[in-house]
Amino acid sequence: MDHSIEPTALVRRLWRAVVDADEYAAADIVHTALAAGMDEEALLLEVIAPVQETVGVEWAADRISVAQEHAATAINERIVASLAHRRGGGPRPARRGRVTVSCVDGEWHAFPARLLAEVLSLRGWRVDYLGAQTPAPHMVAHLHLTDPDAILLSGSIPTHLPAAHAAITACQAIGVPVLVGGRAFGPGGRWARRLGADRWAADAREAAATLEAGVPRPAPSTARQAVDDLPHLADQEYTLVVQSRPRLVKQTLVELEDRFPGMREYGDEQRERTAEDLAHIVGFLATALYVDDPDLFTAFLLWTADILEARHVPAHSLVAALDVLADELHDFPRARRLTRLGTSALGERSPISVPGPGVRT
Amino acid sequence: MTITPPTEFTVVSRRERATLVVRVGGELDYDTSDELVDEVVRQLTAGQTPPAEVRLDFGALTWIDSSGLSALLMIHRRTSAFGATLRLDDRPEILERLLRVTNVLDHLTAPAAGPRHGGTERGEGVTESGAT
Amino acid sequence: MVRCARCVPSLVSLSRGSPARPSAEQAVTTWPEAPYPVLVVDRHGGLVRVNEAARLLLPGAARGDRLHERVPSWLSQAHRRIGDGSCGPSAGTSAGRINDRFFEAHPTPAGEGDIVWWLVDDTDRRLAETALSDSRTRTDVLSESSSALLSTLNVPRCMEMAASMAAEHLAEAAVLVAPAQGRRHPVTSALKGGPVDRTTRKVNVAEVPGLSEALQGFPPVPARWINPADIPGWVVPEGFAGPVGSVIVTPLPGHGVPAGALILLRSSTEQAFTEGEEVFARLFAARAGAALSAARLYTEQASITATLMHELLPPTLRSVHGVEYAGGYRASRDHERVGGDFYDVHPGTGPAEETLVVLGDVAGKGLDAAVLTGKIRNTLHALLPLAEDHVRVLELLNGALLTSHHTRFATLVLASVRRRAHRVHLRLTSAGHMPPLIVRADGTVEEAATRGTLVGALPQVTAHTVRTVLAPGETCLLYTDGITEARGGPLGDELFGERRLRRALAECVGMPAEAVVERVQMLAAQWIGAGRHDDMALVAFNARRNGSLTVVNGDGDRGRDE
Repeated sequence: MDHSIEPTALVRRLWRAVVDADEYAAADIVHTALAAGMDEEALLLEVIAPVQETVGVEWAADRISVAQEHAATAINERIVASLAHRRGGGPRPARRGRVTVSCVDGEWHAFPARLLAEVLSLRGWRVDYLGAQTPAPHMVAHLHLTDPDAILLSGSIPTHLPAAHAAITACQAIGVPVLVGGRAFGPGGRWARRLGADRWAADAREAAATLEAGVPRPAPSTARQAVDDLPHLADQEYTLVVQSRPRLVKQTLVELEDRFPGMREYGDEQRERTAEDLAHIVGFLATALYVDDPDLFTAFLLWTADILEARHVPAHSLVAALDVLADELHDFPRARRLTRLGTSALGERSPISVPGPGVRT
Repeated sequence: MTITPPTEFTVVSRRERATLVVRVGGELDYDTSDELVDEVVRQLTAGQTPPAEVRLDFGALTWIDSSGLSALLMIHRRTSAFGATLRLDDRPEILERLLRVTNVLDHLTAPAAGPRHGGTERGEGVTESGAT
Repeated sequence: MVRCARCVPSLVSLSRGSPARPSAEQAVTTWPEAPYPVLVVDRHGGLVRVNEAARLLLPGAARGDRLHERVPSWLSQAHRRIGDGSCGPSAGTSAGRINDRFFEAHPTPAGEGDIVWWLVDDTDRRLAETALSDSRTRTDVLSESSSALLSTLNVPRCMEMAASMAAEHLAEAAVLVAPAQGRRHPVTSALKGGPVDRTTRKVNVAEVPGLSEALQGFPPVPARWINPADIPGWVVPEGFAGPVGSVIVTPLPGHGVPAGALILLRSSTEQAFTEGEEVFARLFAARAGAALSAARLYTEQASITATLMHELLPPTLRSVHGVEYAGGYRASRDHERVGGDFYDVHPGTGPAEETLVVLGDVAGKGLDAAVLTGKIRNTLHALLPLAEDHVRVLELLNGALLTSHHTRFATLVLASVRRRAHRVHLRLTSAGHMPPLIVRADGTVEEAATRGTLVGALPQVTAHTVRTVLAPGETCLLYTDGITEARGGPLGDELFGERRLRRALAECVGMPAEAVVERVQMLAAQWIGAGRHDDMALVAFNARRNGSLTVVNGDGDRGRDE
């Protein structure tokens, strides 16, 4: 048995175990490292977190299946749970205050929030972890009952930003400061600031440090509305695009079939995949309108192009879809501009595949 | 610019001698099922002689959920109490499937045993008064 | 709140306004008879002339006196500034207090470097302005505190805010005493600009004059003119400056019931509370009381609901006798945690005994439906000894649920599960429910061939039980129609449907049960997007893989099994 507690080596071994769905081996690696004196926070953040990240990267590159992805995530989650269990699951005397950790409404990727909850708990906070799929009304009710020092909201997918904005405003309105984190909030947390979050943290350690420094309570009662933070919403483009998303998808599908007769040969499933891709494009377009930042849209398009190419779907189909969408959106100047910027970003893109991780399966 | 609103729920009934025909259109669900029960009960108690047969015509039904099925079971109780036989006509696949899975079609459409008032309808027996 | 001077006439006494400034010529000729105090002062600060009005104001002041010995420094300094040239003689007015009145002093040159100082009594206008600005400030304070207090429904937090705002705007210290919980009162005290302290303590309310009345909410007026010496020590917050000078005790009127009492303290070096301040305190207390009582009501309701709901919430599933179970639940209305779907896993008494899994759906939604699920779950629990015969269990359950009052029925699936070696043996019975789906090792998805009648609405029920076996990597899924009837998708109004569910399951070969549940829940949630949906519940189970952990549930047998 390898007793090394060097993180890189541990990451490699743990990845191997989770991708083979060998839960016993995975648990053994983690608990042995702990017994060999590895710091638990380092284990969570420098071993388990990178392995989970690899899961995402490998899926994107089409090197592992959906089943493997879910199984690996489930094993990682159980390992984190086993660490928490080992510490004793019950409430421990908290040396610091009380905080709530939750995912943004609609967010399914709960793992980063879970890790954060564990790290804060290790550092002596009393943590209420609400997990994924927490509807905003539950979250607000929880805050009323517990009156935490802060709420930490985690989001991975930018299309949940409008929901995140509503949650941020709701929490602040009842006097609870909001710290946000996760990829959804953009590079350097640029959209966190735009949505009026009290703080943004790049990772769990930064979040812990921010909490330790203290986050003042927002003045409650200042009835802030979405449009106060984001005056451009007044043009209604976001609202209208979101409302007409199903119609936009339908019309774009029909139009694409007109232009590319080959698409008419698509089977139900392939047609549905295309419709889903279009729905995602419109979703990201709408979110870019919401935060008024074209980078949100172009970054998504470039990522999608990589995903498609990893699955041997030519990325130029995206350009065609944008072209049709631009026609459908003739009444929306901001949206049309986004489609133009998206098209040119795809044009300048060098066709490389998803950056591979250090670990191969 | 907006998504098509769900189909409007409609109930239209007519009496053809000994038969009451009720055409049900749109979505029969949690929000609309009471309306159907009320209408059938009103019609059952409206005339001097209750119908021998109640036909629910589902030709224009677009959706039914468990609350809708619960309404059909309640209607069956009412029609049985009046000795009327229930018929479920022109059933769309969605209704057919629900009846199949829940195994209640035979029960709902069994010939009525003849009029019986009271009995299991204790406490909520259909009255003749208040008919419109 | 609209602010305008006309709203507050009682607090504003009319101002006489300041007179037009007299011209220089008038100054020379008319000053002896002027109704204003007038002083003529030479460039060296000596008094040259003092008129009648000025003599009344400054008794004993006479020609030849030094100005700075007769008037307050603000005036003598203003004169010096003109004298040394740092200000011109028409530099404008100075203002300040002389004895207990406010004056504006207007200088005009009067030849040979003399300055005539016209002193205009400004006291009334200032008082009026102060009153006006006080009342505006108070209106602002009241409206701000209202919205701040109403923003939280957390009782301790609301008390903290009320105490701290009271200390900030009404007094030097504020102590909020809440109605007793048992024999102790929550006491929240705040110092102006200082920290808030929260304790729960036994206090003798009778010790503080007016406190027991305030806590009873009667009489509904603040008790003022309390002798500070009568205030017991616990009332005075730590760090309060000096002895208590004046005290107000005012009730916090709630919605029909008293929400507590507020004690306001000032030290002896400060001015005593005025009548206006007392009225203000009462207005503030009314708002704080309303907010506090809303928070208390909410908390009580929430705790009652939580207690009632606890029984109705779906259980957390775990591994039992070598079989891994996972469940997922989402109520139809996002603000509700319970609904008409339910599931339970009743572990067998030993590995050789069957575990009974139940998943079902009650017609209807929300709390009404949830209450019926509670009845069904309890009844089934009582019928566990008969679980060898699913049909018998369903007949008895049907009998227990039948009522003449409604036809609210339930559909459900019973699964009796036992692991033998590496395989899991199942008996499955559907009572009017979607048959369970079984994911085979080769990726095919089978529907269990069980059929039966719904329960709770018909006098008789029938059902047919099937047997099957799960090989390693195979999973059985029980689900409610909330999943398959989820509406949405990229085109907006399509059903998720069985076909998509089966397709998703085909990818789930060999996945841990909780990953299967998560996968299906995620796809359904993404399908729905922001749209409406029915209750959704699902339970998946399969043979635990060798080397599975059972750490979450605490039985700690994290070894290889079998």
